[in-house]
Amino acid sequence: MKSRVAIIGCGAVKIGRYPDRAESDLALEAIRLALEDANISKEQIEGLFTTPDLLGNVGLQTSLLCEYMRITPKLMAEISCGGIAGGLAIRCAMNEIMLGNIDLALCYGAEREASIGWFKKFGSDEGSTMLEPIALQPYASHGTIPAYALSACRYMHETGAREEHFALAAVRNRMNALNNPLAAFTMPITVEDVMNSRRLCSPIKLLDSAASLDGAAAVVVASEKLAEKVCGKPVYIAGWGQYHDNSCFIPTDRCDKSITNFIATHRAAEEAFKTASIAPKEVDVAEVYAPFSPCELMIPEDIGWFNKGGMVTALERGDTEVEGKIPINTDGGLLSRGHPWAVTPFYETIAIVKQLRGEAGKNQVDGAKIGLVHCEGGMLNNSLVIILRTD
Amino acid sequence: MGSEKPNFLWPTNLNCTATKRFWEGLRRRQFWARRCRDCDETFFPPRSHCPHCLGNNLEWVELSDRGTLYSWTEVNIAGPRFDIPYLLGLVDLSEGIGRIAAKIVGAEAHQLKIGMPVRIIYADVRGDFSLYCITVDQ
Ligand SMILES: [Zn+2]
Repeated sequence: MKSRVAIIGCGAVKIGRYPDRAESDLALEAIRLALEDANISKEQIEGLFTTPDLLGNVGLQTSLLCEYMRITPKLMAEISCGGIAGGLAIRCAMNEIMLGNIDLALCYGAEREASIGWFKKFGSDEGSTMLEPIALQPYASHGTIPAYALSACRYMHETGAREEHFALAAVRNRMNALNNPLAAFTMPITVEDVMNSRRLCSPIKLLDSAASLDGAAAVVVASEKLAEKVCGKPVYIAGWGQYHDNSCFIPTDRCDKSITNFIATHRAAEEAFKTASIAPKEVDVAEVYAPFSPCELMIPEDIGWFNKGGMVTALERGDTEVEGKIPINTDGGLLSRGHPWAVTPFYETIAIVKQLRGEAGKNQVDGAKIGLVHCEGGMLNNSLVIILRTD
Repeated sequence: MGSEKPNFLWPTNLNCTATKRFWEGLRRRQFWARRCRDCDETFFPPRSHCPHCLGNNLEWVELSDRGTLYSWTEVNIAGPRFDIPYLLGLVDLSEGIGRIAAKIVGAEAHQLKIGMPVRIIYADVRGDFSLYCITVDQ
């Protein structure tokens, strides 16, 4: 990369339910915290980037925020692209800064489940309009769960993994969430608890699943020049990769594509490692976007840390725990942090920034210098990987 | 199929010109895909344009009713269309051109094995509408 771009501030509200607070309320709370963390004033915001407006305000949510904050950015955009929207917002900020158009941008997202129309449709006839209308939609009328369940069943067939291995990933996430003040779920759970939780679509059970909850988070992105002036601990964006595998969910228009290895994750990670000039094993800590526990096994394999099926023994050995070889989702992951889907990539980014600054408290990975953020859209069909580092 | 709920709606694109013929085919117990007259690509699911050359000079071709079970799940979350639990299979069509997810009838979970041959069968779920499901060849 020509000139470097840094993340210099983070702010977020605890994930949960906020029935009596508006999206703008939650957003402003996260934004104020991020500006304080970055030690900059609101007047310095030159770019404003956000995730899809779930209220259906036809792209005017940033305008509303500008009025509420009395700020006048030079450029702004609301970015929609499934689950990777938050990551793309950071990318837009980075691009504009690298082009020299601005020196500082604020990226934020705010989401309340109550405002999301299509969640309400999940139990209705229209519930699966995101799926391919002929080959998938008539039968998989419950949003995304059946699709991930079919993937998980196939993974067990191909690797010999058992449901208990998926549960191990859910338990690891929960143990990490206990020390994350932003996490929604902080009651300890056991493998037995996961195994005995309500069956949704076999092999996926309630505690294998991320809960759709409310949240808001913001990150401040700055040019290297500005970052060095205002911030004691800038975290640099060192690498970037994105790839789409030409399926919207489960691949229906071919038979030659795996639903247990996702080439989009693999290629996005490969490009990110290449642009960051690092090897996969140099990563000290990672956040992966796994809405269901089986994805906790597939994504690290696709990124390249383990062979196919290798996550089964890795989980048994504790390789992905805070003290392990490659600590993953030290913040609780989607399963235990909670999953306001469009905001989740910001929470992931914040988790990694805190790790790299040495501010992750009890879950701190010793000497973490390089971190990886992964997010995805569809069923792991559209993947985005960011490499962050301190130097 | 036995357990559909009354008053359900089916996919909203039934009258879409690119796919209408597919749904009509199910009424006649035929399973249709499309073939591109320009580049000879046969593709499924049916849609308006050839995914290979992007042309729309297309014809309909009938597929066999055979496939292979690629994966499956027992659905236990209540939905608008079927009583739960039901088995949902993901099937590789034997022509090798695509996959369908469909309700499995006439088999129990313990009888299912990934890789087993399956067959498409048809069910009238409403006076004017039919749907495909899959069954296990005994
Ligand atoms: Zn063609």
